This record gives sequence, C-alpha cells and structure tokens, in this order.
Amino acid sequence: MFNRAEVVDKNFQERVSSGQLPLAQSLTDRQSLTSTALVELFESQILSRVLDLKARELKKDNLTYYTIGSSGHEGNAAFAQAFRPTDMAFLHYRSAAFYLQRAKQVPGTTPLFDTLLSFMASQEDPISGGRHKVIGSKDLFIPPQTSTIASHLPKAVGAALSIYKAQDLGLPSQMPKDAVILCSFGDASANHSTALGAINTACWVAQQNIKLPLVFFCEDNGIGISVKTPQDWIRKNFSHRPGLQYFECDGLNLVDVYQTCLMAAQLARGRKKPVFIRMKTVRLLGHAGSDVETNYLSLQQIQQSEEQDPLLHSARILIEQGILNAQDILNLYQKTKERVDAVAQEVVTRPPLQKINEVAASIEACITSKPQQNLALESERQKIFDKEWDKLNAPQHMAKLLNWALTDIMLQYPNSLVFGEDVAEKGGVYHVTDNLKKRFRSRRVFNSPLDEQSILGTAIGLAHNDFLPIPEIQFLAYVHNAEDQIRGEAATLAFFSQGQYTNPMVVRIAGLAYQKGFGGHFHNDNSLAVFRDIPGLIIGVPSNGADSVRMLRRCVQEAHERGRVCIFIEPIALYMTRDLHNEGDKAWTFAYPEPLDVAPLGEFKSYGSSQKVILTYGNGTYLSLQAQKILKDQHNISIQVIDLMWLAPFPKDALLKTLHGKSHVLFVEECRRTGSFAEGVISQLATEPNGPRNLRIHAAADCFIPLGPAATAGLPSKESIVQEMLDWEKGL
Amino acid sequence: MKRKRIVVICPGRGSYTADTLGFLKPSPDLKRIDELRVQDGWPSLSELDKAEKYKVSLHTKGEHASTLIYACALQDFQSLNQDQYEIVAVTGNSMGWYLALSMAQALDLESSYQLIQSMGSMMKDQLIGGQIIYPFINEDWTFNFEEYRQILTAVTKANLKGQAFVSIELGGYLVLAGDKLGLQTLTELLPSKENYPFQLVNHGAFHTPLMNSISERAFHILGKLAWQKPQLPLIDGRGKVWHPHSTGLDQLRDYTLGHQVYAPYDFTQAITVALKEFAPDHLVLLGPGNSLGGAVGQILIRNRWQGLRSKTDFVERQKENPILISLGRQ
Repeated sequence: MFNRAEVVDKNFQERVSSGQLPLAQSLTDRQSLTSTALVELFESQILSRVLDLKARELKKDNLTYYTIGSSGHEGNAAFAQAFRPTDMAFLHYRSAAFYLQRAKQVPGTTPLFDTLLSFMASQEDPISGGRHKVIGSKDLFIPPQTSTIASHLPKAVGAALSIYKAQDLGLPSQMPKDAVILCSFGDASANHSTALGAINTACWVAQQNIKLPLVFFCEDNGIGISVKTPQDWIRKNFSHRPGLQYFECDGLNLVDVYQTCLMAAQLARGRKKPVFIRMKTVRLLGHAGSDVETNYLSLQQIQQSEEQDPLLHSARILIEQGILNAQDILNLYQKTKERVDAVAQEVVTRPPLQKINEVAASIEACITSKPQQNLALESERQKIFDKEWDKLNAPQHMAKLLNWALTDIMLQYPNSLVFGEDVAEKGGVYHVTDNLKKRFRSRRVFNSPLDEQSILGTAIGLAHNDFLPIPEIQFLAYVHNAEDQIRGEAATLAFFSQGQYTNPMVVRIAGLAYQKGFGGHFHNDNSLAVFRDIPGLIIGVPSNGADSVRMLRRCVQEAHERGRVCIFIEPIALYMTRDLHNEGDKAWTFAYPEPLDVAPLGEFKSYGSSQKVILTYGNGTYLSLQAQKILKDQHNISIQVIDLMWLAPFPKDALLKTLHGKSHVLFVEECRRTGSFAEGVISQLATEPNGPRNLRIHAAADCFIPLGPAATAGLPSKESIVQEMLDWEKGL
Repeated sequence: MKRKRIVVICPGRGSYTADTLGFLKPSPDLKRIDELRVQDGWPSLSELDKAEKYKVSLHTKGEHASTLIYACALQDFQSLNQDQYEIVAVTGNSMGWYLALSMAQALDLESSYQLIQSMGSMMKDQLIGGQIIYPFINEDWTFNFEEYRQILTAVTKANLKGQAFVSIELGGYLVLAGDKLGLQTLTELLPSKENYPFQLVNHGAFHTPLMNSISERAFHILGKLAWQKPQLPLIDGRGKVWHPHSTGLDQLRDYTLGHQVYAPYDFTQAITVALKEFAPDHLVLLGPGNSLGGAVGQILIRNRWQGLRSKTDFVERQKENPILISLGRQ
C-alpha cells in the first residue's frame, strides 16, 4: 500500500485495538503532569493527526493546496503546555499540535475551524485571510511564519532581546515582563546559515550577560526532505555552545517532552538565558503530500518510522498508567474524525481568496495604527544637542545633518533603537551615529555582531514588541547576504497576518558608488535591484542633506504610525560633500530643517524648468545639477532636473502630470542598468497612453565596480550626462 | 440512518414565564427533586408548576425559578431520542451552565439540585444589584458594532457614579449589571429603544465583581460537591471546551463557583465555539420556553453560519430545515 496516510491511520487503530504498542524509549514517570493534562495533550495530538489526514483527503478534491503536515511531530503539544500563551512563539510548519494545545490555554478560541480555513485558503482564515497555510494567531501570540529554512530564528533573538530592554527603558510593551520567546525548527534547517547566525548571536549576547529569555526547539526527525541528518549531528553541533544550555527529550514521550520543557522554561524565564532543546522524533507521511518517500527510503525504513508513531507511544503511556483504556482511545480517535469531518463540511462553503485586489489588500495593512508622536520639547532638544545646539542653523553636509536628525528622532521616539556594526562608540564608519551612544546610552545605541541576517532579524523581533528599530547596514553590498530577512520576513509579515502583526523599522543603508579614492565593488555597490520588486517597501534615496533629514523623519513616522518597513539608502559619496559646482562654493551644504519639516511620501523636486527633463535620484541628482549648469553656461541648453527622492511608492500620476508635453525625458541612473529603477520608471512612463514618448536611460554599465582609478569608469558623470544630452540634441 | 449531531443549549434564568406554566410532567427525577425541595423547606416544583396563575413575585424568584428551569430542561433533555440524535456537546447561558453540568453528568441529580438550588437561593433575602438588557442589532439582526461601543462607553461612564459592568454577551444584546446607582445611570445614558433598556425582574448583578461574596460563599457551601468526569463535552461561558477525559474536576469546580459567578458570561462565544468546533447538524435549545432563540439566531447570523446573513434568512431557514430546534417552544 503506497498511501501512507491510510497506513498510518489504519495502523493506529489496529495497534491500539490489538495492544501491539511500541516499547518505551524513555521514562514516563509523571512528576508534574496530571493524568487529565496528559489526556489533554493526547487529544491535541489526535486532532493534529486527524487534520493532517483530512488535509490529504481534501487535496484529492482540490480543496486544499499545501499538505505539509505535523505527523510524527505531535510531541510538540507538550512543548506548548510547558509555556504560557503569552510567550510569543515563532513556529515552523510541523507545529499544529503546539498550536492546538496552546489554543486550549485561551478559552473561546476556535483552532479547528481556523486551521481548516487556512488549509482551504479561505478569505475568512483569521490569520492570513487565505494567503498561506500558516500556523498563526494574534490571540495566541503566534505570529505567522512562512519560513521553511529557519529564517524566523533571527527575529526570535530580537524578540527575546526586546523583553528586558523594554523594562530597562521603562517602555510599554506587548509582552509580559517575564515572557519567554519560543522558536521551533527542524534538524535540516538547523544547518542553514540563518539558523546558525541566530544561534550564534544568541550565544554572543548571552556571553555578555545580557538577558535573553529564549528557547530554541529543534524538532529532529533525522531527515530533511530526502537528505538524512548525520547521526547525533544536532547534539554534537549545539550541545557545547557558549552561553547556551542544551537539553534533549524524547519526542515520542509526552511526559519526557513536557518535563524537559519545564526545566528549560525555568532556565529561560528564571535566569533569562537562551536554551536549546532537541526533541528527537520521527517523520510520518513524508515531507509533504507530494513527496514520494519510496524514492529515497526503503519500505522497511518507512515502516520503522511508522512503528514509532508518537500517537501509539502516547496510547501506550495512557493505557499503562491506567488513565484510558484501548476502547476509550479508539472512541476518542473516531469522535475526533467525525468532528473534523463535520467542521470541514462547513468550512468548504466559506469563500476562498480569489481576486488580486483582495490578495494585495494586506500588503501595507496595519490594524494597530498609532497616533503621531509629539515632538520633543525645545528644552529637551537643547539639552541633548548640548554644544551643537547653536550650530543647527549653520549649513552642514549630509552626514552631520543625518546625525542631528537621528538625535531628534531618538529624543522624539523613546522606543527607537539604533544598532548595527560599529554604530556605538565608533559612531559608524562615516560618523552618522557619532555621539548617539553618549546621548542615549548603550541600551538604545549598540553594536551588533558582524552578521547582517542577525541585524535585520533582531530589528524584526524588536519590532514585534513595540520597538522602533533603526538598524544600520554598513554597506549596501552587505545587505545581499541578508536580503531574505527583508524580502521573505519583514516585508511579508503584514501581508500574511492581514496587518495584525507588523514589524515597523527604518533600515539605514550606506551605499552606492562614487566614493573618492576608494573603489571596489563591496564598498561602492551600485545596484538597488534587490529591493525593487518587494511589495510594500518604502524606499528613499536622498540626494542632499536637507532632504535626507526630511525623508528620514517621514520613514520613521511611517514606521511608527503605520507599521511600515522602510529602506533608507544614504549615498556614501554625498555624506561629506559640501560643494556642488566649484571647490569651496558650499552649495551642497544645508541648514538643518525645522523639526516639523517632514517630506511627504512621493515628493519629488524640480530644479529649473524646461522641455528637456532629467529624472534621477541620489548621486544622479548631484551630477545632473552639475551637468545642468554646464549645458546652460556652455551650450545654452536649458534642462529641468527632477530629483525623485522616493523610489517606492512611485508617484506615477503626479510625475506623469509634471512630464506632460515634455520633449525629452532622460533618466540618469547611477545603478547598473539591468534591474535598475530607471528601467522600471521608463517602462511605466512609456506604456502610459498620455505619457512622454521621447525617453532615454543613461545608466551605469552592467559591470562590478573596480578598485582605484577605474572605479568611476562605468558610471554616469557630469561629462557623460552633458554628452548624452548634446548627442540627443543632434539626433544621435 | 446516521444520527444527527446536535449541540444542546440549556436555558438561563429568564426562561420560565407565564407561557411555560404547566410544563412539567411527572417523572422519577421530578419526584426526587420535589422531595429534596420539601426537605429543604421549599414548595415542590410540581406545586409551583401547577399553580393556577403565574406570579412574577413567586415564580421569578431565584430560589424557585432556578430549579423549576432545571427540571423543565432535564425533562426536555431526557426526551431526546438518542437513536435519532448524537449529542456532541452541551452548553448553556448563565445559570444554564449549571444545567449543562448536570446534562453532561458532571454532577448527578442530587448534586445538581444542590448546586442549582443553592446558587438560586443565595440572594433570597437581599438581591445584590440587578441586570438590564439592551440591544445593539439592526432590525434585520445584523450587528451594529458602533452601538456596541457606545454601550461600553456608557458602562464606563456609569462606573464613575456607581458600579456597572457587562454581565452577559447575549447575541445581539448586552446584559448589563450593576448596583442601583450604576443601573440608574446606565438607564439614563442609554437611548430609549422600544422596551429597552429593560430591567430583568428578580435578577442580581450576576457575572460581575459584585458577586465576589457569593462566589466565596459558594466555595464554602458547595466546595465538596461530588464532581464526576463529564460524559459529554461542555462549552462554558468563556467558550472553553471541557472534553470528558481531559477535564480536571478541581478546575471544573473552580470555574463554576469562581469565574462563572463573578466574571462576564459570553454566551455568544459559547455558541460560536459550538458551531465552529463541533459543526452540529442542529442546535437544540431545551425548554422551558424559547427565550434564547433570538440570541442564538443572531449568533448564527454573526458567524454567517451556513449562509445566514439576516433575520429573514434565519426565519426562512427555520421554516424549511430548522437549524435551531427549540424543544420548549409552545
């Protein structure tokens, strides 16, 4: 028989009926687990199993879409029971029993109905609204995770860090004061760099005696799809990490799981230390419904796992201890099946999510919008700025203005945190965070380990507990090894939770090319393609100090009030730039904008007026303004330069209006042409019925940036922009 | 024939009315309850039920109404044909929770009597506070959540003068409770709508902190009742499901004499859980009367259950293939 769901179902009933139950592999001496609590765990296990079976049955009728299940992992019900329903849990996809058990701790929840809604991608699914088969619930402190590769571990570290940070700073928070963060994942994904980075960061934090109440729960079934985990790999890999207490339990034995988790809970909650639990278990029904296990396992190996079905072990424990008899168990199983069948019949009638406008409705959703934050008092500002207070009106370069903006923001938003590599004592490699640690102390301004996945993950986790993280990524190129934390995690949280969970943040990234006397692709990365296609992001790239302040303020406001994820790209080459046309003209220094001066989203700025327009942003604006003067002074050609400022959301309608009737539109793009914003903008304009028709792109070459004199060779320059316009004039 | 899966709903205090006089039929259980009543110095239920005239001053008193309703509901429950119906869960409204415990056999007849009679008699000398009922539904039984918020605001305001609380979430109605000043303030604050706000006669401030002393006395008097594992799943006034094998008897007692007495009772959530977690073919409301019928219909509509979206839908559905079976309907 190849339908292993049917085999596992039949096995359970036959073996319970005949008494052929697997032998114990660990002690079942119940010290702190009552008989009724043990039955309750077993009921959650059964319901989880029956839901897995039902999902496969419904799949045959194309009523479910994703049959990856929890069979074999139902021991995690006891993991749930050992903790509180307010201990936020970041769960992997085999955690249905955990979810069902936790739901019992919160009266009035409807986990069976809700799970089936999720299976059937119904728009009434209370967590994702039919966007994914995710385990999640606002009431149960389970944010939905779509991760299959442990990309949710870094955020768990951030969430754990948030608990005592909120208390130390006297801030209100979503989580109780003595909460613990839970995080489950499989043995295979424990190999992923994201998981290893998160665990490493937890150790790095704990080693410094910083409170981190966190439980990593590794559900080790010995195989990842078809790849076997080496014998004892998890134990050998994680049992001797600094600052990390390691436990093991038998996932086939509810009593052992519960009691091990209780010990872990005491450590995590009581001593506020990270804990790692390995729950050894089996995988049943293959990786997912579509996975044919016999392609890589022998029938005998499959049957060996099935013989160790955790439900059979639970049945044995209950019968051995005289709590239930075989008939009770069979009745319970049968009644659960009937109940699931009946509820499924109702859920089938609920409307599925279908239309794209309904799907996309939650990309920017936020059900916990906050009011505008009051500005800090003048006296407070004066005190914090101290000796610099009198300099605020004197024109400055972008780095200094951003430093002041961050100072004001940290004063205005007590829940804002600045962190990243070298941001504290050193003040960042470009001094943008100078003095912030002195001004706001190490609880709010702190260095992170050298791991961008952890920096961004920490931001996501902190944001789950009402912090407003402003992480810094030292160089644009470094974001690439961590992009999934934005793409797959931060940007999707509101989407998959219908805005019930958000992770507001402003990610400051120093980047782009044109650094003088430097070069090298890592420090001059000139591609923003990584962000271009991610729905829901706010992306700002300022070109001058004054706008950088106004735009950063807007990003922080959007994050705080509407839970938005903002990417703020700071052009390194413009940080210290003072002059625009001639040495010493100081035309690129600006006075610090008044605190109420905040750039609207979608604002773009025109310099001059002409039929010939240059669209650009960042360094492109700076260079185009230089070119504008040369074209006027030396060739008597007027050019209008439009600094787009915001790359997303893109103000298409307003821009079309401005460009109406223009004869030439050139996009000066400092990034590599392929995948650039210029490509997107120009194609959007070109396909508009009333859009401009005479369009060109002047972009950087599709080449990495070298070191030394050739560093700017493939990049737009004021000369190349002038030449492009002149050529165009000539019809070349 | 496959048995119909049903969830049984036990009625609350307001269900025995002039219309239900004469509801009871002789039975061994009624006889036993009558004996216990007489032993305790109360008039027998048979006598009360056979009275020529329904007297508000007599029949609505807690010490009589509670046990009368229990006997009526028990009679209906026992009339259910087990070959035709499979009871998948039992729930109730307010005092109906005590009845549900009895139907699920978490308490035997005598213990059920003790619980119901004792709780019903706790305020026989002096009622503590009272209850009023107020709607927040439109004519078609769709919910008006703006009105709901306004009622909660009124409760908060009334609490500044006296004591006022939400007592029961009852479908499209909120039962509010409080002390005299609290209720008087509420009555002034809530816009008058037909008969509402409507004061419930002989009702105390059930399910509010004003009942803390009653809860303490209940633990003292009833702390040692002979609790048993329920034979059927129970859904309490928070929407928590008590499954037979995993029910802790101490926890069941603590909820019944504690939270259930002094904290809000959410009948809406109890029925919602009954629907979503058991998906019964029918909800069966035990008699006497049918006073919860409207609230149940409203909860069905709130959950868009089987496509029901308005009172008209519900009424039509009841004519064709009733989802709610009211045994006590005359």
